[in-house]
Amino acid sequence: MPVALSGTMVDPIFQSDNYVLARKLLDASVVRHQAIASNIANAETPGYQRVDVAPDFAEQLRAQLVSGDLAKGTQNLTPHLAEDPSARSVRPDGNSVDIEHELLAMNRNAVEHEYLTEIITQNIKQLKMAITGRSS
Amino acid sequence: MSPLGPISPLLSGASPLTKIDAPLPKLPTVHLGGVGSVPTEGFGKMLDGLVASVDAKQADAKALTQKVLLGDSDQLHQSVIAMQEAGVSFSLMVEVRNKLIESYQELMRMQA
Amino acid sequence: MNLITGIDVSASALSAQKTRLDVVAQNIANAQTTRTASGGPYQRQVVSFETELIKSQGTSGAGLQSVRVAQVTTDRTPGQQVYNPQHPDATADGLVTMPNVNLSQEMVDLITASRTYEANLSVVKTARQMASRTLDIGK
Repeated sequence: MPVALSGTMVDPIFQSDNYVLARKLLDASVVRHQAIASNIANAETPGYQRVDVAPDFAEQLRAQLVSGDLAKGTQNLTPHLAEDPSARSVRPDGNSVDIEHELLAMNRNAVEHEYLTEIITQNIKQLKMAITGRSS
Repeated sequence: MSPLGPISPLLSGASPLTKIDAPLPKLPTVHLGGVGSVPTEGFGKMLDGLVASVDAKQADAKALTQKVLLGDSDQLHQSVIAMQEAGVSFSLMVEVRNKLIESYQELMRMQA
Repeated sequence: MNLITGIDVSASALSAQKTRLDVVAQNIANAQTTRTASGGPYQRQVVSFETELIKSQGTSGAGLQSVRVAQVTTDRTPGQQVYNPQHPDATADGLVTMPNVNLSQEMVDLITASRTYEANLSVVKTARQMASRTLDIGK
């Protein structure tokens, strides 16, 4: 009987847990940067509350990983912004942004982003090498 | 708790592994149904499957890239990754085709 | 094409802070101006900010908010009155009403605006680096 490969040849890499996780987390990393940009931009707007990636994104991602069907289960999972309930407002006008904190978070996020792109790049490079037998 | 407050990680306690844990796909080894059965049917089906998956990936990449080009989406990374995946799939298909042709030519030489 | 993430937001902040810097510079320059075109001493101007929703998230969560200058208002509190009968703008009692500009307050504003401007610049720089790394994926 012929082996029905039907498109599952490259999918072992592209559906592997770490690769899918890295892709999803990359989505979140981009959204997180937007949140930080918004926070720093509004550091002096009266009444502004800091935003971040909604925590249920990470929870759902982890749940899907544990349940074993990461690729399918997270197909429609997108990170979105939500007000950060743990941010305390230290200013009389109700603004809850602390610029130092935001800058730190931004730098950490940039490193995470780099790490995630590295994971994805290594996966792709390994696959290319396996296919063509030479490093591009 | 640092004085600046907790910076919640995207996925707290996520595995720090960087090594790739998926097995590398082997180039196709078609299992023949029985001794002496000709493998052409298997290869045909397999190539169809490959073409279909390459098509799908190219379509994905095309859609995502178009969205970025038009400004409908700012997800640059999705477009880049989709294009890379499409490229890899395509490259795989080309290598498989090359190997198949080589094998066929080898076979023809033997029979001549 | 929106390739650098969050750039609209940061650009709006840079613009708003620039306006504020301009206003503070104007206040400082006019700290001694006792006669303006409309008569009377210079009154300091104050910038106020507000958010502007540029991308709504629909039902879930918050949208992306940029910032803009809501309005530039004039601070109407009267300035100090100084006894200086030699001054060309002195009243009959020899009192001159000075502008209500407090230099140390303005300097603090200046420094804050500068710092915020720098912070937003570094946000743009980081976003650009992220985009650059993204383009190198797979290479």
